[in-house]
Amino acid sequence: MTEPLFQARGLTKRFRGLTAVSEVTFAVAPREILGLIGPNGAGKTTIISLISGTLLPTAGEIVFEGHRIEGLPAYRRARLGIGRTFQVMKPFPGLSVLENVTVGALFGTGGGERNRRRAEEKARGWLEFTGLAKRMDQRADALGGPDRKRLEFAKALAMNPKLLLLDEVMAGLNSVEVDQVVELIKKIRDKGVTILVIEHVMKAIRRLADRLLVLHHGQQIAEGPTDQVLRDPRVIEAYLGKRRQ
Amino acid sequence: MSRYRWLALPIAAAALAVVPWVTSDTIVQYGINALLVAVLAQAWNIIGGFSGYPSFGNSVFYGLGTYGTAIAMAQLHWSFGSGLVFGAVLGVACALLFGLPILRLRGPYFAIATLGLAAVMSAIIATVEIAGKNIGLILPLFRGDTLFYELSLILLVAATGTVAWIARSRFGAGLVAIREDEDAAQVMGINTTMYKVAALTVAALFSALAGGIHAYWITFIDPASAFDPSLNVRMVIMTLFGGPGTVMGPVLGAFVLSAVSEVLASQATGVASLFYGFVIVVAVVLMPKGLLDLVDGFRERRWRYFADNVRRFRI
Repeated sequence: MTEPLFQARGLTKRFRGLTAVSEVTFAVAPREILGLIGPNGAGKTTIISLISGTLLPTAGEIVFEGHRIEGLPAYRRARLGIGRTFQVMKPFPGLSVLENVTVGALFGTGGGERNRRRAEEKARGWLEFTGLAKRMDQRADALGGPDRKRLEFAKALAMNPKLLLLDEVMAGLNSVEVDQVVELIKKIRDKGVTILVIEHVMKAIRRLADRLLVLHHGQQIAEGPTDQVLRDPRVIEAYLGKRRQ
Repeated sequence: MSRYRWLALPIAAAALAVVPWVTSDTIVQYGINALLVAVLAQAWNIIGGFSGYPSFGNSVFYGLGTYGTAIAMAQLHWSFGSGLVFGAVLGVACALLFGLPILRLRGPYFAIATLGLAAVMSAIIATVEIAGKNIGLILPLFRGDTLFYELSLILLVAATGTVAWIARSRFGAGLVAIREDEDAAQVMGINTTMYKVAALTVAALFSALAGGIHAYWITFIDPASAFDPSLNVRMVIMTLFGGPGTVMGPVLGAFVLSAVSEVLASQATGVASLFYGFVIVVAVVLMPKGLLDLVDGFRERRWRYFADNVRRFRI
């Protein structure tokens, strides 16, 4: 395996008495798509928040491009090249779609593009890429569901991230829209971005992920190539319950 | 036409600059007040309009500018220029010192904390010997309304120029992102703490300078008038009325509301105190995005603009 872009070692997060994430260890290689799956409350979103810096870990190490980052504030991690989307989407509601994405281009990896006009040009490019160009001048809070997801993508992509964390970007989409988003994520990977994706839509994750990491009650119960993990009896049990004898 | 729009500002500033030479003393005195309160509204716009932090502490920066200038001139016998600088330093220092802890609070909690700061600061000043305790200070008399008028105008042009720069800069984009969603702003690489403190500090600088000019003009200050919380309420109302987060909105709001309240104060004293309350209710219900948005919206949608606002914001 090539040198991993990202590693988590013994990652643990406790909220008072509740251990949301316990001793999770994994690595992501450059240009890989790692799927993060598990039942509700398994700690998936917590892991993304720990990596992006929205939450600080109780214990464990996070290594990005060979440097420890678990103590850095969120904005420093974004500048190193970690972008994320939110499950509960967080557009800048009162701004236009173009302005939303321009913020990503103005900041993001390496501090972003300092010139506002050039940042806007880049933002237009990402709106083409995500299929939102027609909605450019609309206010973000006027967008419908699927377009909001595209906006989350475009904002994160405009940051020019090396590692992109996607939190349930397909929830609530119909199967045609899911196919579109799957293609979009593959296109992003082909641009050289490494991706960690949380997803409930199994059909999508099967087509998308190179490898899977399965969480259950904050514990890591399986990790490996996608097909192999989906056949693992422990994984099936976590999702469907034990077969009666 | 729109190519020459930027010319409107220098022309308006030049027109305002000749006012003292062509009108009466009363109008100049009214003008000084209107210009200074417009500076305060513009300063509030930076922290409240752009960053979305509803500060009630801007009257503290104004008060510290007032007292800094007064102490320097009345007690230390410095020149007016050094007095202004001293007042500005006090205001900026206060913003840096208290901004860091207070800006961690959001929304109404931030507003209440800044309100507390205002109350505490006036109580502290009232016990300080060099600040004249609760009696106040008398500054050297200087009769020169024209000078004060032009100084206030220069300060307003500087404040508006700064806001115009903010509106087009990367810094401004960061502030607006913080206003719209602070968590999202942070994961996109914005150093939110530094941006917020910087916005508050710039607001403090202009507020303190306005306080310094006002102190020397009015020649007598005491804690109650220097740290008057209702002055802060006026900054907020004028900015909201004109258009928060815009370049010209706060200036327009300040000019319009100063004029109306001046007329009311002389014609119908009883109604005058109700005036700002009335304005805030009408503004929030019918034109929550301010005068500038009203002008655009009314041109497009006529009377439907008001109905749309009432519906959209569910009031």
